[in-house]
Amino acid sequence: MATPCVFCGAAAFYRLFLGGRVSLTRRQGVWKAAAAELQTDTGFQILRLRHTTGVTTKKNVAALRRETYTVDFIKKQIEEFNIGKRHLANMMGEDPETFTQEDIDRAIAYLFPSGLFEKQARPVMKHPEQIFPKQRAIQWGEDGRPFHFLFYTGKQSYYSLMHEAYGKLLEAEKRQSQLQAKGLFSEKTETKDLIGSRWLIKEELEEMLVEKLSDQDYAQFIRLLERLLTLHCGAEEEFVQRFRRSVTIQSKKHLIEPVQYDEQGMAFSTSEGKRKSAKAEAVVYEHGSGRIKVNGIDYLLYFPVTQDREQLMFPFHFLDRLGKHDTTCMVSGGGRSSQAGAIRLAVARALCSFVTEEEVEWMRQAGLLTADP
Amino acid sequence: MQCRTDLGLCVAFPPSPVTRSGTQKAAFVGSSWPAKMAAPAGKVARGWSVLALTLRTAVPRLPGLTQVRWSRYSPEYRDPQTDKEYYRKPLAELTEEEKCEQELRKTQLIKAAPAAKTSSVFEDPVISKFINMMMKGGNKVLARSLMTQTLEAVKRKQFEKYHAASAEEQATIERNPYTIFHQALKNCEPVIGLVPILRGGHFYQVPVPLPARRRRFLAMKWMLTECREKKHRRTLMPEKLSHELLEAFHNQGPVIKKKHDMHKMAEANRALAHYRWW
Repeated sequence: MATPCVFCGAAAFYRLFLGGRVSLTRRQGVWKAAAAELQTDTGFQILRLRHTTGVTTKKNVAALRRETYTVDFIKKQIEEFNIGKRHLANMMGEDPETFTQEDIDRAIAYLFPSGLFEKQARPVMKHPEQIFPKQRAIQWGEDGRPFHFLFYTGKQSYYSLMHEAYGKLLEAEKRQSQLQAKGLFSEKTETKDLIGSRWLIKEELEEMLVEKLSDQDYAQFIRLLERLLTLHCGAEEEFVQRFRRSVTIQSKKHLIEPVQYDEQGMAFSTSEGKRKSAKAEAVVYEHGSGRIKVNGIDYLLYFPVTQDREQLMFPFHFLDRLGKHDTTCMVSGGGRSSQAGAIRLAVARALCSFVTEEEVEWMRQAGLLTADP
Repeated sequence: MQCRTDLGLCVAFPPSPVTRSGTQKAAFVGSSWPAKMAAPAGKVARGWSVLALTLRTAVPRLPGLTQVRWSRYSPEYRDPQTDKEYYRKPLAELTEEEKCEQELRKTQLIKAAPAAKTSSVFEDPVISKFINMMMKGGNKVLARSLMTQTLEAVKRKQFEKYHAASAEEQATIERNPYTIFHQALKNCEPVIGLVPILRGGHFYQVPVPLPARRRRFLAMKWMLTECREKKHRRTLMPEKLSHELLEAFHNQGPVIKKKHDMHKMAEANRALAHYRWW
């Protein structure tokens, strides 16, 4: 593809009628840098010369090929990152030895403020391992012979992992049968804390193995690990734990308001809640007779609709504390139903301070502590 | 499989363990999906079977099909459990499965309870559903008042009958409007339904077994249509509805007739039953 076609410069549009078949090859002089459309019509074919530039016609083969980073390149990047980190720490006036990734992020956000909505498009400075995708080194030696014995399966890490796991399973079964033969086998069924953790998801496993997996492969692997777990063998536990990730216990995330005391020594708790465009602030007193005042008005008069009053009573009724607390709320915005919902949320949050942790978790599971999005 | 999904789309949905969808926030086939998959028959201690990990699939972007119903919640949010008794059960009474499920719920994110739901003993899910179906233009206040008036009317009629009846008959007269309502709707539920299936350019009405929720929906729908359309302009909804409910309770009336018509059609078309492939 030496020179661009002279016709292109003239921005001309040609219609060439050719009888018979024409084989379109890009190397033909007349249509070198132009994309031609082959239009079959009855009998003959029409070639329409379109005016385009050379760049869009060529397939960018170089860009399509996956960029491979050599080990030396990555090493150099890591050195540069470390030096850059120290420079940054100096710039920010902090100690280079104890400069963590959060400090780096804060420093970069300060030095290069960006208003871009796409968070991933903002300037970032992270360790090269997180930026450059993990790639595999060359899998074969100079003579062309692959290093790994499962190379020709196509997914060597996956199959070697399956091989290893199955080997462990067979060993565990053998040990169990030996114990059973000796009569030493005890039916211990300890339920491990499987609730606080979950299996790796497919993406995480792919990342770990640096290999693409299919859904069936992943499912097969998890099934094998579950089978391993049923055998209750101590040696395999750490092997299996490598493939489990912990899951947060949701209730720990809640912030419980501290109880405050007013002039008379009465304990109360304040909290906010909102729903749609209504905002509410509720003050719940620990001892009372179940009166609820909204914006200075009794709730029976403020909410004439039964459904709203039921919503206000919901947190109290759920905790069996219907006539035991006095509440004062200020609410604004929204309609009648959203105001009721906002007050419900505020009251539920305020009640958290007077109630045990277990009951807080119950309230959360009943949907009282989640703000309606 | 042509199934009714919460999306309002007709999409083929073979359940398969797929990767997480991430940013999709659409509502999917019943939130009971993960719950169904997370309760395998056998090994409960390892309640995390592979299928329990299926997070919802991304919606295929098919031309001509748009997502009708969205949800502001991401897929991992679960529905709240407002029943007080569920939480008050002492630990000793729980079975293995329930204990496991309780542990599981501690790690799950829960949606906010909807505005019409409370832990009150007076609340009835069937009644709430019926009120929602009766509602027009978002006027929940009116729908709810109509419902309460209907139940009151049912109660009054039954009490009149009770006081006018002899001692033996009094034992047979049901006066609780809620039981009458539930029984009437149960009597109106069709057992088998008809589905139009396209074969060879023609639509055939094929008899098909209906899932429970479809049956409940049809019963309520027929009841409401009947009361809205077939009444005199001067009669009020509570009066007409109470009348229809009482008739349905005794297995009489137009709604029951409609159910029988549906059954007869299904019986007549039973030769086409093999057109069904699910």
